Amino acid sequence: MKKVSIWKIIIYIFLVVMAVVYLAPLLWTFNVAFKTNKEIFTAPFALPQNPTFENFTFAWTAGKLGIATLNSFLVCVITLVLSMIIGSMAAFGIARLRWRGAHLALVYFLTGMMIPVHCVLIPLFTRFAKVGLSNSLTGLILPYLTFALPITIFIMVGFFEGMPNELIESACIDGASIYQIFFKVCLPLGKTGLFVTGLMTFVGNWNELLLAMVFISDDMKKTLPVSLSKFVGPYNTNYSQMFAAIIIAIIPTIIVYCAFSNQIVDGLTAGAVKG
Amino acid sequence: MDKLLRNKKAIVIFMAPALILFTFILFIPILQSVYYSFCDYNALTPAKFVGLKNYKGLIQDKTLHIALKNSIFFLIYSCVTQLIMGLFLAALLTNIDKGRNLFKNIIYLPCVLSSAALGLLWMFIFSPKLGINQLIQKFGIEGPLWLMDTKGFIILPMWVIAFVALWQYVGQSMMLYMAQISGISKSLYEASYIDGCNKVKSFRYITLPLIRPMVATAMSLNAIGSLKFFDMIFNMTEGGPNHKTEVLATHLYQQGFKYFKYGYASAIGVLLLVLCLAVTLFINKVVKTEPYEM
Repeated sequence: MKKVSIWKIIIYIFLVVMAVVYLAPLLWTFNVAFKTNKEIFTAPFALPQNPTFENFTFAWTAGKLGIATLNSFLVCVITLVLSMIIGSMAAFGIARLRWRGAHLALVYFLTGMMIPVHCVLIPLFTRFAKVGLSNSLTGLILPYLTFALPITIFIMVGFFEGMPNELIESACIDGASIYQIFFKVCLPLGKTGLFVTGLMTFVGNWNELLLAMVFISDDMKKTLPVSLSKFVGPYNTNYSQMFAAIIIAIIPTIIVYCAFSNQIVDGLTAGAVKG
Repeated sequence: MDKLLRNKKAIVIFMAPALILFTFILFIPILQSVYYSFCDYNALTPAKFVGLKNYKGLIQDKTLHIALKNSIFFLIYSCVTQLIMGLFLAALLTNIDKGRNLFKNIIYLPCVLSSAALGLLWMFIFSPKLGINQLIQKFGIEGPLWLMDTKGFIILPMWVIAFVALWQYVGQSMMLYMAQISGISKSLYEASYIDGCNKVKSFRYITLPLIRPMVATAMSLNAIGSLKFFDMIFNMTEGGPNHKTEVLATHLYQQGFKYFKYGYASAIGVLLLVLCLAVTLFINKVVKTEPYEM
């Protein structure tokens, strides 16, 4: 019995060290963001002497992080809703409707999971520039939506296939049309799947940098990671403002994560297991 | 019922939006990208077919060699370390009861944060005058230039970046393994204890074989993720100093959107695509096994 508890103590010590490795960088940034630029170098690890919010307001307005947060939110929510509707419609079509190409269509969508976004960057960029979609949020939503589809379809096909046939039969006998069956019976029952795919889509797009950086050059339309990367660059010399900007960029996610961490971790893991 | 499910109009309505989007935003651009990789194409002139010129250019491009070397280093490093650390953490966490969720959630946290922001954060931590160097200066040690050193085959900044990537994403591997381990029936372990196994032995002979299918899944996720790796490197070093920390994705970005050599950048994209497909196939062939009946 004694031996076991020694092992337990060692495990806990190790885990606490890991937790420090994970939390210390975030806490340090948080601490520094409230200091003045001078204090960072004179007293790097002390608590700020007179905490100031000026860094945050400066980053929010001059760094255009405020408008960027709004843009990110808009893009991510629209993509989320559209990918859920379009993705689960296609998944329903593949899993439940009876037609010959269903399996082929699934394979077609699934190949999309292996394709890195870098490969379509150049054709999309030149095409969008021609049709006037570059430098607009629509031009960003379209590829985000498309790249969210494969995983959404894959997971939702699993859900729809697992539903008992009797459900659809009884709805059919009650006189429901195919659209009613989808929106009133199958979609509400696939809530768990929608939650998982929605989470993956939202988190992925919220953090996406490359596409947003290439497609959007107008400061007022940039998303959060792009504005942040531009504000925190080699040409800025005020460190505490840059730290405040980093905090602004990650704090919404951290708050949401703290509130729903178990659901988020389990949801994302379920998505990754299936993918 | 059958008639309802074979309704042609309904099939078209359900499938069309996804198929149209997928074809126009993903499938056709991929084909275009392959075509452009055989073209002389930049921002000023339209695409002109030149055959294998871009690919010959790839072979001679010194920066590409560095990028390829770094990408492959990154691929191997992340597959190996994520496997070891992820399994190790999963094994520890499944063995404790109190605080399991807390530690799990703390380690998973960076996975949901923006790697662009975390890259910037770690850039400051490893910058010459801040963070780590301030800390070790208290003990009287002069810290190295973490992100600017250029000595060695795999230079110091690459190790630093690889470490940060491990720090960010190990939570995901850990969760995948934990999900699989908690699915293993307790009776197997009890039987092994009766037969005289200790914890380490039962881990070796029960846990490891049973989670092998998950190793394949987690590894291919890591492998593709590490080949696509862009945000963090872009924000930590931007490929510098002197292109020494360039990887394929950053090199593609530089060529395509700094120098506007669309054709050449497409060739890099095709190389990346081929690598992704090859690595996924390889892992699925070599590591994947049929799941055991439990």
